[in-house]
Amino acid sequence: MVPDSRIFRNGICNARGFHQNRTSHFKEEISRRFKAKQDQLVLIFAGKILKDGDSLSQHGIKDGLTVHLVIKTAHKAADGGSTSASSSTSTQAGSTSTSNPGTSPSTTTGSTGSAPPPTQTPNILTGFGDLAGLAGLGMGSANFMELQQQMQRQLMSNPEMLSQIMENPLVQNMMSNPDLMRQMIMANPQMQQLMERNPEISHMLNNPELMRQTMELARNPAMMQEMMRNQDRALSNLESIPGGYNALRRMYTDIQEPMFSAAREQFGSNPFSALGGSSESGAQPSRTENREPLPNPWGPPASSNPSESGGGSTGSSSTTAGTTPSVSNPLGINPGSLGNGMFNSPGMQSLLQQISENPQLMQNMLSAPYMRSMMQSLAQNPELASQVLMNNPLFAGNQQLQEQFRAQLPIFLQQMQNPEALSVMTNPRAMQALMQIQQGLQTLQTEAPGLMPSLMSGGIPGIPTGGAMPTENPASSPSSAGTNTAQQQLMQQMLQMFAGGGGGGGGSATTQTPEVRFQSQLDQLNAMGFINREANLQALIATGGDINAAIERLLGSQPS
Amino acid sequence: MDQTDSYPVKLYVYDLSRGMARQLSASMLGRHIDGIWHTGVVVHGKEHYFGGSTGITNCPPGGTLLGPPDSVVDMGFTEVPEDLFKEYLTSLGESKYRGANYNLFENNCNTFSSEVAQFLTGRKIPSYITDLPSDILSTPFGQALRPFLDSMVINPGGNNLAGQ
Repeated sequence: MVPDSRIFRNGICNARGFHQNRTSHFKEEISRRFKAKQDQLVLIFAGKILKDGDSLSQHGIKDGLTVHLVIKTAHKAADGGSTSASSSTSTQAGSTSTSNPGTSPSTTTGSTGSAPPPTQTPNILTGFGDLAGLAGLGMGSANFMELQQQMQRQLMSNPEMLSQIMENPLVQNMMSNPDLMRQMIMANPQMQQLMERNPEISHMLNNPELMRQTMELARNPAMMQEMMRNQDRALSNLESIPGGYNALRRMYTDIQEPMFSAAREQFGSNPFSALGGSSESGAQPSRTENREPLPNPWGPPASSNPSESGGGSTGSSSTTAGTTPSVSNPLGINPGSLGNGMFNSPGMQSLLQQISENPQLMQNMLSAPYMRSMMQSLAQNPELASQVLMNNPLFAGNQQLQEQFRAQLPIFLQQMQNPEALSVMTNPRAMQALMQIQQGLQTLQTEAPGLMPSLMSGGIPGIPTGGAMPTENPASSPSSAGTNTAQQQLMQQMLQMFAGGGGGGGGSATTQTPEVRFQSQLDQLNAMGFINREANLQALIATGGDINAAIERLLGSQPS
Repeated sequence: MDQTDSYPVKLYVYDLSRGMARQLSASMLGRHIDGIWHTGVVVHGKEHYFGGSTGITNCPPGGTLLGPPDSVVDMGFTEVPEDLFKEYLTSLGESKYRGANYNLFENNCNTFSSEVAQFLTGRKIPSYITDLPSDILSTPFGQALRPFLDSMVINPGGNNLAGQ
């Protein structure tokens, strides 16, 4: 322990007799510590194998450097015999040398840790032979589903167990009996639902040939992977066919998703865990193109997607909100982003541009199988969704927007699942059209600030009535409320646009009641003395929210 | 005198986000990251990596679903012969790198690649790869998504080590 390493350290540092510390000596100490024969020890440093005759200094081994040790197994143990251990023997000086004995117990526990699963295996196998013994497995549950679940967990932890189980003749018998398998599968209520919805699946289950093939597959993991790979390839080919992508997505929604959630609920979130219970799902390439067992290499970006797609529209507002606090004025209103509220901040513009330039981006995002289920789980769990989105730093600056968005959340999430909405987002031309609209609005804003199309109803009064925004803002909260109102309104319009079927164009302001839109103008008109709400409203509608023009209208004799 | 061979060791780096991270990370996370990195160590003619649920797997280099790597880092050479390397991998696969131990943040493919590269060559893999989890977790967004991400596993597909 400590003395050993000290000797070593002193040997190197003090150039004592141990300076030319031979590897063989080092190995002696190690063999003592790890209780392995010196023959079994292989020392590796910097990719070089340290031979017995070498000296440690020759390899440049100094204090604090890590030397790797591999203990070769004397015999090949099937289940990762306990004699095989690999540890990094750290030759760090001083107190850290105690990590050496630390590593050895850990490796031995690691190797003994692998021992229990092998010993459990014979239990399960005997359990199959004697059904009464199933209870004795410690599972105790007569519920077959629970049993399956536990088995699944064990299988996951030790892949060799799977092959062992498969080799058990009883299991093979059971699996080659299609009726029994079918019964097992149908017992799952979610499967039943699925089957009702998709008669193809029940077809498949009823086809004994296919069942047998599936059993073969399940038995042979290599074949299974081969099959999955072929499936993947076929799928990616499908994707490239025009219109194929949509077909795929439809397929996915119809079949995989419920299956996925069925499997997921039963077995936990491991996508492969469905293999044991619903192994047939892996082998229906010709029928239903089931993508369930597909691994998802795009996992991490998919996980960042909800805020991305959620940010598709909300991120627009949130970028505005994000830019606002950075502007050096107390309320953080960015004059440049006023009025148009959302889409006009440069960040959002570039995002939209990227999206429209790169339809692949959206497609990639949405094609990730995880996307759908995640959307669903987000929709079902609004708290999580709100948490995710609220923590988005872009939202951080704007409390009101958060509140407003929170209210809109369930609607929004539903919309995100609406394939129409999604097709808008994936359709580059639609996105381009949206962008054009935004650009048009922006141009309009700069060209005719007084005109202010109805989208900007809230924010507008603030601008003409105030001088410089920054000076006004500290004094007048209405203007900040107005800004937020503008943003909110634009948000609402965005949402309603999706609600309106998504395929349409940009936010149609007319989807909102004029009263709501012109609320602040109405208030102002009221304050000025125009008490005829109806007339005010008419005037505002006619002028598109422009107060001055509305006043003229009210005062003049123009037909309303 | 030197009987041992030298085997080249390379690190294949893949961007799982296909470029999306580089474009969108700044706006979404609040900080810029160049990619979501997945790595595999190529030695003895095979690419080895750690995938969730399958554990340590290997395949022909560039043979995962991800296709050819986005970049290749030359890690140098190793003297470790193939059989010894296999034993090492087996023992790793029984201890730290079981499939079930896969954790997207703490024990992922890059952790594995780092350890293997360190074992084979004594050098570590580039830090921008191993720093990725902490980079992401340092953003509020990463923190918020953590429970969800923790349950995710990345598995590009290949042959299971045990299935050889």
